[in-house]
Amino acid sequence: MSEAHTATHADHSGEEQKFHAFINLALVLAAITGIELVLVYLPFNEAIIFSVLIGLSLFKFISVIAWFMHLIYDRLLLTLAFGTGLAIATGTVIALMFIMDRGFVDFEAITAF
Amino acid sequence: MVDNKKLFMWLFLGSDCMFFGTMISTHLIYRKLYPESFDPTSLFSLELTSFSTFILLMSSFLMALAVSAMHKCDIKSFRRNTIGVIFFGLIFLGCQVYEFTEFVHEGLTLKSGTFGSTFFMLTGTHGVHVAIGLFWLTCMYFYSFTGKMDPHESAIDVEVAGLYWHFVDIVWIIIFTAIYLIEFI
Repeated sequence: MSEAHTATHADHSGEEQKFHAFINLALVLAAITGIELVLVYLPFNEAIIFSVLIGLSLFKFISVIAWFMHLIYDRLLLTLAFGTGLAIATGTVIALMFIMDRGFVDFEAITAF
Repeated sequence: MVDNKKLFMWLFLGSDCMFFGTMISTHLIYRKLYPESFDPTSLFSLELTSFSTFILLMSSFLMALAVSAMHKCDIKSFRRNTIGVIFFGLIFLGCQVYEFTEFVHEGLTLKSGTFGSTFFMLTGTHGVHVAIGLFWLTCMYFYSFTGKMDPHESAIDVEVAGLYWHFVDIVWIIIFTAIYLIEFI
């Protein structure tokens, strides 16, 4: 009885800690979205703004997966299950962006088709 | 021991990453090959899209709270948070419908060119995902009133539905940057 009570108390304590983590993360995500909106209007170098936007976007992406989707609290197998698909998707996007460059594409063949 | 439902959902989400990855790359490649074909900056409303993004992020937060409530066997809190998720999801879909209607009135349609085709295909597919998630959560919300929902046994079902909803959110995070924000740099 006492052990069961201790286990339940520990579970609830863990959920309380997660609750605070969720609130902090929600605030950070909202703030980042606001920063992103302001960033595109700032008169800075395009490459810098582009890099910062990609960085902020990746931070939001990884944060939601890690905390809201509980991946850091779960087993490694789940990370591998999702990570495999994500890695293939990312690789495909990067590869296609390089392959389909203006220098490699025969525009006449496309328009003729 | 990993729950089968959870493992299956993570595998499905991994495959869905590939699905959205191809659509995002298709849009970006056409933008790169034909940059002069269309200028969306006059059409896009970044304020509205940022608001949609904020709403979807907050719905994700409420979904995380709903899952947490179910783990604590607090079904009332689960209902409160789930109805919040559904409400925010409906606002997001409303914003998307309003945006699409505006674009069509301005002449951007599925048939108007490569930009319209790839843009509507990508954001429309994401919208369908949101609608499916809303249907799923609404069913779950009403099911919680039948008395058949045991918090201990149903916690994993809520968690799986939550994973799907969070995935819809992370896909939008990428779309927001890759399709909308980058156009304004």
